[in-house]
Amino acid sequence: MLTLVPYVLASQGTMLAGRAGIFNVSQEGIMLAGASVGFLGAYLSGGNLLQGLVLATVTGALFGLALAYFTTTLKMDQFVVGLALFFIGLAISTLLYRLAVGVTLTPPLIPTLREIALPGLSHIPVVGEIVFRQNVLVYGAIVLSLILYLFLYTSGPGLALRAVGEHPMAADSLGVNVPVVRYVATVVGGMLIGLAGAYLPMVYTATFTDGIVRGRGWLSIALTFFGGWSPHLIFFGALFFAAVEVLAFRVQVTGIGVPYQVILMLPYLATMAVMMPTFRRLQIPAFLGKNYDRERRMLL
Amino acid sequence: MLRAGQPGGAPPLEMRGVRKAFGPVVALDAADFHLREREIHGLLGGNGAGKTTLMNILYGLYRPDAGEVLVGGRPAQIRSPRDALGHGIGMVHQHFLQIESFTVAHNVVLGTPSSRGLRLDLSGAEERIRTLAARFGLDVDPRALVAELPIGARQRVEILKALYRDARILILDEPTTNLTPQEVDALFGSLRAMVDEGISVVFITHKIREALNVCDRVSVMRAGRRVLSVEGREASDEVLVRALVGEDVDVRRSLLFSDERAARPTPAGRPALRVEGLSVTSPQGAPALRDCSLVVREGEVLGIAGVAGNGQRELVEALMGVRAAAGGRVWLDGTELTGAEAARVLAAGVAYIPEDRLQDGFLPKADVAQNLILGFHRRPPYGRGPWLDWPAVYDAARRLIAEYRIRTPGPHEAAVNLSGGNIQRVMLARAFSHPCRVLIAHNPTRGLDVPSTEFVYTKLLELREAGAGILLISEDLDELLLLSDRIAVVYRGQIVGTLPRPAFDRYALGRLMSGVADGG
Repeated sequence: MLTLVPYVLASQGTMLAGRAGIFNVSQEGIMLAGASVGFLGAYLSGGNLLQGLVLATVTGALFGLALAYFTTTLKMDQFVVGLALFFIGLAISTLLYRLAVGVTLTPPLIPTLREIALPGLSHIPVVGEIVFRQNVLVYGAIVLSLILYLFLYTSGPGLALRAVGEHPMAADSLGVNVPVVRYVATVVGGMLIGLAGAYLPMVYTATFTDGIVRGRGWLSIALTFFGGWSPHLIFFGALFFAAVEVLAFRVQVTGIGVPYQVILMLPYLATMAVMMPTFRRLQIPAFLGKNYDRERRMLL
Repeated sequence: MLRAGQPGGAPPLEMRGVRKAFGPVVALDAADFHLREREIHGLLGGNGAGKTTLMNILYGLYRPDAGEVLVGGRPAQIRSPRDALGHGIGMVHQHFLQIESFTVAHNVVLGTPSSRGLRLDLSGAEERIRTLAARFGLDVDPRALVAELPIGARQRVEILKALYRDARILILDEPTTNLTPQEVDALFGSLRAMVDEGISVVFITHKIREALNVCDRVSVMRAGRRVLSVEGREASDEVLVRALVGEDVDVRRSLLFSDERAARPTPAGRPALRVEGLSVTSPQGAPALRDCSLVVREGEVLGIAGVAGNGQRELVEALMGVRAAAGGRVWLDGTELTGAEAARVLAAGVAYIPEDRLQDGFLPKADVAQNLILGFHRRPPYGRGPWLDWPAVYDAARRLIAEYRIRTPGPHEAAVNLSGGNIQRVMLARAFSHPCRVLIAHNPTRGLDVPSTEFVYTKLLELREAGAGILLISEDLDELLLLSDRIAVVYRGQIVGTLPRPAFDRYALGRLMSGVADGG
């Protein structure tokens, strides 16, 4: 359950922007920046994790804002901007850490997020301990996925968001403000991705190391595709991936005479095996990655 | 101009001095427009005349460079479709602005406030859609997925979107494209019902016949200006055509306005192109063309009618060797061409005018001369082994530019700078300037102005006289009725009937096109 959170948060963030037609490819960079800022925020305030989380979220929002500005207002290529933001995030994460902490022999530590047992439910035999004794962000990720699902499929603004990603001109012609939708979705998506980054030092390592995200950002793009850009499928996809990852870790620890590299591959292979059959008929927002310019001569 | 005889009532809409330029191209120049209450106002004009641009400005999609809009007598600032909708203006675009993966109801309610706050009120919306549909004869199931609806139903959805927002002024841009004659009649019935309830309708079209048949008043646009407005009953095709094209076309001698039923000797030539049991499977695995058989004789124009997307594109591309056929055989003059690739099909004597000239027909960055020889460049006189004889290419290009009156500074000009009509002239010059046995022409006049259309028709008939077989695939029934010796109708990938010229009847064709009748 622990490992689920960064995947869910980052993938849902990717999904939000993608549903508005903005294909964010800077997750890895945003998560690194979020991890760095989140760690420093907590470390410098003497272990105030909330402050770290808030700052990481703000960092993610700034990245989202930059992505939205360059693509929606300046109409630059989404991939180019996304990759640039990835490199900026990568650089900033290391830079900030070096500036604030410098090079030390023993890494500075912060406390990790406490687990909260849900009253009553955590006493259910077997399942209770596993499912209902978690840190706050695990519950947060589950609730978030549920809220996003309801938002996307039953609310008016959710319908507008989906419309903007599918056919911005149709949405525009019915009075939906396409740039505003794209900005909001990308900024909120960036917040989630930044939060996903901050989760890593606060739960796993208690410290920041270079490249702490270790490809989870890139993986979240794949999980978003596997989840068909739908909040509920993304959640279950991430859950499945995280479960196999933990399983692989256990196998590795017990040791069954298989080279550990093979075991490390397991989550990726298993996820692909499960998702492949569904992958073919999954929906991708039709306008994903494309900018919209109302006055360009209509060539649809 | 005549003022509406409405004491005390300001006209619902007035546009004055509207100018709009796209880069160096001036689309509208001091255009004005005046709509009365409770009328169907036809806005007639050729391609590029500015009618759609004018209405897009009214709907807030384009910002005008100059000019003003008055709604109900008061100046209105329309900066976006939201503003336009707020002023009671609705628009049905030529290319439907619908989200195919959504249901009808989702498409309709998109962007409207819900009575339940953030939550969508779908059942309420469906109820409202059903009521509106019943009132105006726009039958459609609100729960259907838009992607699964036929063109006619999708059009009704588009109109319902405007009515759902209480539009008082409804703009329809070329609404009859791709409709069968029966559907056109139904559409006009619905428009009448709307006018009776006090809605004013602007009806953009390039078809004179339609403007004459249904409109209370007609305005004609040419080169970015309104050049004429007449009462429907005072209009005649001659008046409208003169306004449309200026004095470029001799109306009395024009092919375009000749009687479509004019008798014509029945061609009895040998089969030039023979197709048997041709089938094509779409990339998604569904059959797109099923067991299609046809014969085009020498000196004959075989028309293929049908609503777009019923297998026409697959038929043409399979014949040209651009798309692989799943089954069936093709002969040209007795030589089998089954499965031949495009180069061999062209070399065998088939000329081709593709439907989408921008996508399939030409190289925008190559120059005019290179485009003129494309596909014929491997053989003499242009090709010499692996090399091209450039002097010969440019000589030929200069000749063709003169003969086909292609408006361009010269053969070295980049093709991307040509206008739509001139690109089509390049296509024609390329297809016609090489000896051919069979011409396959797919929507050869789509988007062309009147003189260019006339030019295409003349060339097609010349080729027919010269004894070539012509397969004319078109979505324009008038065009088919005018040019064809026989018309075959495709519906869902099958030829459902073939009519000889004496039996031409647009309603019979319409029944076949909508799949309600089996023709013989």
